[in-house]
Amino acid sequence: MENLDELRERFRRQAESVADRDSWEALRLDWLGRKKGVVRSLLSRIGEIAAEQRREFGQRVNELRREVESGLEEIGDRLTAREREASLVARRVDVTLPGRRPRQGSLHPVTRVIAEIETIFAELGFSVAEGPEVETDFHNFEALNMPPDHPARDTQDTFFVEGGQVLRTHTSPVQIRTMLARKPPIRIICPGRVYRHDNDLRHSPMFHQIEGLAVGEGITFGHLKGTLEAFLQRLFSPDTGVRLRPSFFPFTEPSAEVDITCPFCHGSGCATCSQSGWMEILGSGMVDPRVLRNCGIDPDRYSGFAFGLGIDRVAMIRYGIPNIRLLFDNDERLLRQVRR
Amino acid sequence: MQFSWEWLGEYVELGDDLEAVAQALTDAGLAVELVEEVGEDRVLDIDITTNRPDCMNYVGLAREVAALRGVPLRQPVAGLPTPQPGPDHDVVTIEVPELCRRFAGQVIGGVTVGESPDWLKRRLEAIGLRPISNIVDITNYVLWETGQPLHAFDFDTLIDRRLVVRQATAGERLTTLDGEERTLDETMVVVADGARAVALAGVMGGLDTEVTDQTTTILLEGAWWDPSSVRRTSKELGMHTDASHRFERGSDPEACRAAIERATALVLELAGGQLLGKTIDVRGTEHGPIAPIELSHDRLERFAGVEIPRPEVEERLKAIGFDLRPHSEGWMVEPPSWRRFDVVEAADCYEEVLRLIGFDRVPAALPPSEGPDAPEIPIHALRRQLRDRLAAAGYAEVINYGFYGAAQDALLPPLFGDRPALAVENPLSELYHLMRRNLLAGVVENARFNRRRNQEAVQLFEFGHVFWRTADREPKEREHVALVLGGRLGTPWERQLEFDLFDLKGAVELLAETGGVELVARPATISGLLPGVAAELTLNDEVVGILGELDEPAGEAYPLLVAELWLDSLLPQPEPPKVEVPPRHPGVAVDFTLTHPLDVSFASISAAIEESATPDLSSFWLEGRYQGQGVPSGAVNTTIHFEYNASDRSLTQEEVNERQKLLSDQLIARFGVGGTAS
Repeated sequence: MENLDELRERFRRQAESVADRDSWEALRLDWLGRKKGVVRSLLSRIGEIAAEQRREFGQRVNELRREVESGLEEIGDRLTAREREASLVARRVDVTLPGRRPRQGSLHPVTRVIAEIETIFAELGFSVAEGPEVETDFHNFEALNMPPDHPARDTQDTFFVEGGQVLRTHTSPVQIRTMLARKPPIRIICPGRVYRHDNDLRHSPMFHQIEGLAVGEGITFGHLKGTLEAFLQRLFSPDTGVRLRPSFFPFTEPSAEVDITCPFCHGSGCATCSQSGWMEILGSGMVDPRVLRNCGIDPDRYSGFAFGLGIDRVAMIRYGIPNIRLLFDNDERLLRQVRR
Repeated sequence: MQFSWEWLGEYVELGDDLEAVAQALTDAGLAVELVEEVGEDRVLDIDITTNRPDCMNYVGLAREVAALRGVPLRQPVAGLPTPQPGPDHDVVTIEVPELCRRFAGQVIGGVTVGESPDWLKRRLEAIGLRPISNIVDITNYVLWETGQPLHAFDFDTLIDRRLVVRQATAGERLTTLDGEERTLDETMVVVADGARAVALAGVMGGLDTEVTDQTTTILLEGAWWDPSSVRRTSKELGMHTDASHRFERGSDPEACRAAIERATALVLELAGGQLLGKTIDVRGTEHGPIAPIELSHDRLERFAGVEIPRPEVEERLKAIGFDLRPHSEGWMVEPPSWRRFDVVEAADCYEEVLRLIGFDRVPAALPPSEGPDAPEIPIHALRRQLRDRLAAAGYAEVINYGFYGAAQDALLPPLFGDRPALAVENPLSELYHLMRRNLLAGVVENARFNRRRNQEAVQLFEFGHVFWRTADREPKEREHVALVLGGRLGTPWERQLEFDLFDLKGAVELLAETGGVELVARPATISGLLPGVAAELTLNDEVVGILGELDEPAGEAYPLLVAELWLDSLLPQPEPPKVEVPPRHPGVAVDFTLTHPLDVSFASISAAIEESATPDLSSFWLEGRYQGQGVPSGAVNTTIHFEYNASDRSLTQEEVNERQKLLSDQLIARFGVGGTAS
């Protein structure tokens, strides 16, 4: 029996010197090994013990075994913890290294602005209509109350293609096509490329417009104002001031030039707005009854409003692009900066 | 258009506040864009829109100011002495009564041509006109005062001392006041004397009959010319004058005579002389009476979206010369003669009332909701999705002009057979004289531009229309999408990727997948693309696009891979595909490497696998390709990954190996120079 106490003391000493997985395994085999382990050899000697002491001997050996087991487990846990710590050191990373982004492309600034405007007008109940870029004189001019010798044609220097058709000078022909094809109520916007015979630092022979058209019963000039205000305040900022000035377009009556408070200085005056605090942004008006009639719509029953906006300039304002030419240079270094 | 503040003050009380007047004019649609000091005077630059020729003169502008300020207009009045007997109406014959509706004139004898007085010169100079002589200056002065262009002939230089208004004859020549000899045609109207044209109607007088310092007898002319006719002539000859500007916008038919009388009075005052004959006033086709317009007060308010009291409507319209008589719940409105071409129906009156009360009076309101308009058109929805997917896949969108030059047109053949290019008749230059037949010419140019700027990679796309014409010169267009790719992407840190044709083909497949279609690439010879690295993209055997490597001279930093597709071919199938529920049992995978000659296409291997109908083969894909050590020259190792799965049970490796062996042996027998299963 003394012997078992000695054994217990020996295990404690051996356990203290375990430093790694190998010596731990050796210790385990030493004590719990199925063939030569200390515990096993003790139990195999049970026959040599006097019958009346066997029960007690058995209990004491089991006790020793439990102590050895828990001792081994404790050391094992400590080893596991130490190993994990070592592996964590090895796996540590520098989290300040740059992330690897999936390469993102970019939508053209003009496309982004068009998409944004389409979303705003979708919220206002307008759908998108499209049409050809090569147009007939009828759709581009005549139906819009610009007969062949009308002086207003001077303001829209026109490209002609062989066969007598024109490159559309605005997206208004899409309005005409829609009105010819559908009955009111109509609420559409028409984004697209347009062409004018103009090429200098401030003009590109091709640019983009969005025109809008609402025709229905009881559409008022106040609705034009309200729609433009809602649109422009969503496109720029909720505090954007909107001002309508009477003007003239052959296809609307009355016609209005629309100014917004300058998006750069918010109306206080800066170089961009020539200190006026205002910036001309679009043209608009109530659809001229002659245009409605040209499209088979009875102006005594229906009225409507229309507007047209140059998108390129909005894109330039939005992204701080100083020159319209830069929009069509298609330099990836510029384009790829436009991510939102 | 420039107006002297001092001169304007002759016709209306302006007060001291120029800013306020300028603002009121701007708010009423006569935008004052600039005010400049000229000596002691100030000059207003006003943007007068084409519909308001009545305001392109001092009296007209003063009428607006008077109406806006609520003060009276001071019209100039001309009292003329009794004329001596002399030529009057017989002097003028109108042969084109539709185009010359009225011709007023006056012969004045014994005039002394000389310098104008200072006040007259100063007023003309203030608005940028050069004083010439008292007679000519008076015609200019009255034009600016009344809006009626006038011309003075030296009466004694007129052959037969008479005038005929007629069509020009083809090839007829006339040297105009600016010294240019003009060649005319039958579409033009001239004022002629007994033998020759002496003035281009509504545009400019002739040099031979102009007033000189020798002149003693003058004939003043003030006529009404047809706007379209004047515009055609002035455009045709490239002559834009103060007179043509007004006539082509529609002058006041009633102004001719009054302007002649006013000018005559000034001539008598400043150049002396006496009237020879009565005032000439010959009429062509009458315009007829001005048709009254029915204006409903209720409809006006409903159009405007604001209440406008009846007395205010009356007051506003009367102030600018409209005549209103009560009618029903509104009025019968008769516009004045100077607005008769511009104001012809109720909407024209709405405009007048709205601009005069000011747009600010109308409260902003959203129209009552009628619900959404039409649903999104399919091509718009498709384009939106494709753009987003291309951008998410790393492509940057570009936008090019719709026209290009012959060199770009020659870069690639038009996508769809031999369709002639549509030419621009008045191009900016030869660089832009054709409507583009493909997008790639532009996108490739963009790619080269970026490659020259040392971009390590280019990855671009564009959506746009291409154009052509039919045999009978009818223009056609449709929308394409084009892609270009090239270069090497990323740093070693980012794990570099060198783009090749199959990166681009993958993007094309992504586009096709968006529409739910499968495009088949067929080897093709396409000029402009590298032989052997070019394909037609087909859908149901119809060519809908091309794909390949651009054939460029050696020495570029990297090759450019290009594709262009007809957008309609990708239009989404109505129903999205149903999903396949993943099998519950784990599958068994096998890789097989087939060594085969290079000219065996992957498509034919794929087809053979499909045809084998191997049981429980659920999918297979290309695992890799290898050429090099261990592979005979002229051959390639193609490793294919096979996935087997039975829907109702787990397969064993043994049964899969057995099936794969059959399949592999078939492939080897048909295509291979040997193969190993692994």
